Amino acid sequence: MRSRLLGDTSVAALAARAVLGGVFVFLGLAKAIEPVEFLKQIRQFELVSQPPALNLIAAVLPWFEVFCGALLVAGVRPKAAALPALVLLVGFTAAVALRAVGVQAASGLPFCQVRFDCGCGAGEILICAKLAENAALGLLALVVLIAPIRKEERPAAPPG
Amino acid sequence: MTRPPVRSVAAQSLIVTLAGIAAGLIANALSPRGISLTRDYFPDAARATPAPAAPPASTTTPANEPPAPTPAAVAAPVRLARSGIPLLDHARSLELFRDPRRAEGRILFVDARDDRHFQEGHIPGAIQFDHYRMEKNIAEVLPACQIAEQIVVYCNGGACEDSELVALDLLQLGIPATKLAVYLGGIAEWKRRGLPLATGERSPQQPIPR
Repeated sequence: MRSRLLGDTSVAALAARAVLGGVFVFLGLAKAIEPVEFLKQIRQFELVSQPPALNLIAAVLPWFEVFCGALLVAGVRPKAAALPALVLLVGFTAAVALRAVGVQAASGLPFCQVRFDCGCGAGEILICAKLAENAALGLLALVVLIAPIRKEERPAAPPG
Repeated sequence: MTRPPVRSVAAQSLIVTLAGIAAGLIANALSPRGISLTRDYFPDAARATPAPAAPPASTTTPANEPPAPTPAAVAAPVRLARSGIPLLDHARSLELFRDPRRAEGRILFVDARDDRHFQEGHIPGAIQFDHYRMEKNIAEVLPACQIAEQIVVYCNGGACEDSELVALDLLQLGIPATKLAVYLGGIAEWKRRGLPLATGERSPQQPIPR
């Protein structure tokens, strides 16, 4: 019986799953163990500011990242996990970029020198490095989504 | 080699999303650090002024230079003034710290930060009251505040709102505004001035006055 870990025989897809899934599990856990800090950071984005929306995002999103990451690492429905991961990445990246524009306008710093705690689970970040990192993770999610999978080998027909 | 139909992936993604949300709700409910889904952690009093602009980014200024006041720090005095709670500068806060009445519990310093930051270093004799985990210490904090004649609440300083939130919590718990004050410079300014810090949980030698 073929192992689920080798269900996607493309090496690139396997590596993409492992890296993307690992990052999601790590960063998700970093946020999940400090949900109050994540709550404060989401509020700074000024996209949602009141319960229950603010509280739901802070409470659920980190664990949702861990869940998707675990599915990717384990190879359980990886494409189904990669799609919400990609949606999350696009949303996060847009929000972080928007906030960076605001910080740049307030501080007058060059865009790539803007740094702040984006609530991503990695502490304070340089915005350009973060955007590049998210773009790379998005690419990995796309690799997982579009990689073909091998049909399970059918048993040979009986003689006669 | 084949690719599953797009509709199949989309349908499975929807199931994964719903399962992930359910897993998140369950994990938050079971986690000792979980947060309430309905509690307003930033009540109306803290939103009395328009939301401040995004804070300035960190620069390469030396670490021991005081951080520039942020819009949030500028807005806090306005919000606190509406509740009748004064802000204290460092000189006044230090004067209260050195006042002999503090040893008797008649002057009380309240640290509004979480467990980790409190234990890493706090103003000696301060008691902890975390706005986000009020149930943890309220049974000890409230009687101590009722006895005290002057209560000084602090957090990290700068853009930290937690001292303001705790001061408003105490006000709502019935502590008169005349007793309350917020040390705006917070632990950052206390450390910058080289003043003593206590570490760990509240020392057994420093019982909370009854």
